[in-house]
Amino acid sequence: MPRNDPTDTGGLFIGRRPGTAPLRYRAAPERAGERRRRADAALAALVLALETLVCLSLWGPQPVAWLWIGSQVDYRTGSISLALLVTFAGMLATLMLTLALAARMDRAWRILRRAAGHEQQQGSLSRIFAVTAIVVLVAFSFWFAIIEGPAPSLAPR
Amino acid sequence: MRRFLDYYRQFEALAPEEVSRELRERRDEQRARAVTEQPVLDLASPAWHEPPHAEIVNAATFALRRAVNAYTDAGDLAGTLAARHGVEPGRVVAGHGAGELLRAACQAILAGAGGEVPIAWPGWGHLPRLVGEAGGRPVGVPLGRDGAADPASLAAAAGPRTRAVALASPNDPTGGTVDAAAIRRLARELPAGTWILLDAALADFDTAGGDLAALTSELDRLLVFRSFSKAHAMAGFRAGYAVGPLGEQELLARLAPTLGVSAPAQAGMAWATANVARHLPRRRALAAAQRERLAAALAGSQLAFPAGTGPLVWLSSAAHTGAELAAHLAARRIFVTPGSAWGDDRHVRVALRGAEATDRLAAALRDLPD
Repeated sequence: MPRNDPTDTGGLFIGRRPGTAPLRYRAAPERAGERRRRADAALAALVLALETLVCLSLWGPQPVAWLWIGSQVDYRTGSISLALLVTFAGMLATLMLTLALAARMDRAWRILRRAAGHEQQQGSLSRIFAVTAIVVLVAFSFWFAIIEGPAPSLAPR
Repeated sequence: MRRFLDYYRQFEALAPEEVSRELRERRDEQRARAVTEQPVLDLASPAWHEPPHAEIVNAATFALRRAVNAYTDAGDLAGTLAARHGVEPGRVVAGHGAGELLRAACQAILAGAGGEVPIAWPGWGHLPRLVGEAGGRPVGVPLGRDGAADPASLAAAAGPRTRAVALASPNDPTGGTVDAAAIRRLARELPAGTWILLDAALADFDTAGGDLAALTSELDRLLVFRSFSKAHAMAGFRAGYAVGPLGEQELLARLAPTLGVSAPAQAGMAWATANVARHLPRRRALAAAQRERLAAALAGSQLAFPAGTGPLVWLSSAAHTGAELAAHLAARRIFVTPGSAWGDDRHVRVALRGAEATDRLAAALRDLPD
């Protein structure tokens, strides 16, 4: 057959954009009743809140905790180098563990959302991570610049 | 607990890799099935099996983007066509394919008076109908042993009621050719005033016979019909032209379409004619090579066809009828034209394609039962 049809694109630009394919399950899920779906939706909201708290812990509680541990190491061993090493290694280790935990929670959240009747394609971990970072940065800047005020050398009390 | 978790596991989406694996398996299955499926091989259509040269399509597209609201002017095209044959532009008429020009010629020559038209037969299949529609009576004249029109037989068949004789070179379906000397002899032997209608639709495949259209400069009753549907691969354009003798402008004007040929067809014809060296030699060589390939594959078998020119082969078997050959090939999804279309029950017409098609045809023919 002659193939000089100008509308024949050879397959280019045919089909959907990447990442927009519908969800594919191993088999069509058997959905429970309305009450179960509502419970799943509430559970999903709870998981999302926990996931947010876990992410938030990365920007405050965890670094503070490791700084405290580092100070204890310095106090007990008298080695500032060891204290710094323990602090940074510990922070890195808990960061990885936290992210692994958050990823599992995010997967659970996606499944709960689907069970609640939503076509949940993507997780929310990256957005939560970014939003909590921005919120903490803004909060820290507010505390540092407004509440705590400039350094004593600039504005002595 | 397990049942509780199973409920949620069913909402786990398949990973992209799993989806791809599924699609790949489906594709592999389709491919595997495709290998076992025998695709249809259409060897029935005499049109060239490949698209035309890309520049022909470009020229036609360019013409479509210009002033297609205006009527066309065939003057430039006639000049290009005439230059190819070394004749005056006024002796060339472009039309909607050689078939339509032949129809117009039959109407113009036979109109009112009727008469007989001996046709070298088997020849172009539509010709007897066109003669009949014009009020004439077609008379079949057998070809020579070489599958070409026999000038002596045609001349012998011409009588007082004969208005024209028709022949083709190369002949569809046999591929037989006549040369300029044969046409001159035919013109000499025909009764005065008898037209020779020379269907040269396949002439671009024949370089040995010379340019028969140029004969119109010396023979005053010769009309030569050329087509762009075969070697130029432009069957969809419906484009062709006729070349006639000097002093027959009135007749030639009756062959022309009332308001000319479409702009894209004219543009395509002009490019194809001005650039024959760029696209015809390859097709000519391909057709000749496939003729030889098939002849070599059938050597020593009961199958044979006349040595000729062009992509059409008039195949026969010593042990089978044309209908049996066609049915045998059709069972292998290879379609050819049974000779019954020409009133011949011994042959089939095969339109050659590429080497792969020729090999498949030869393999199918080797399977013929004795």
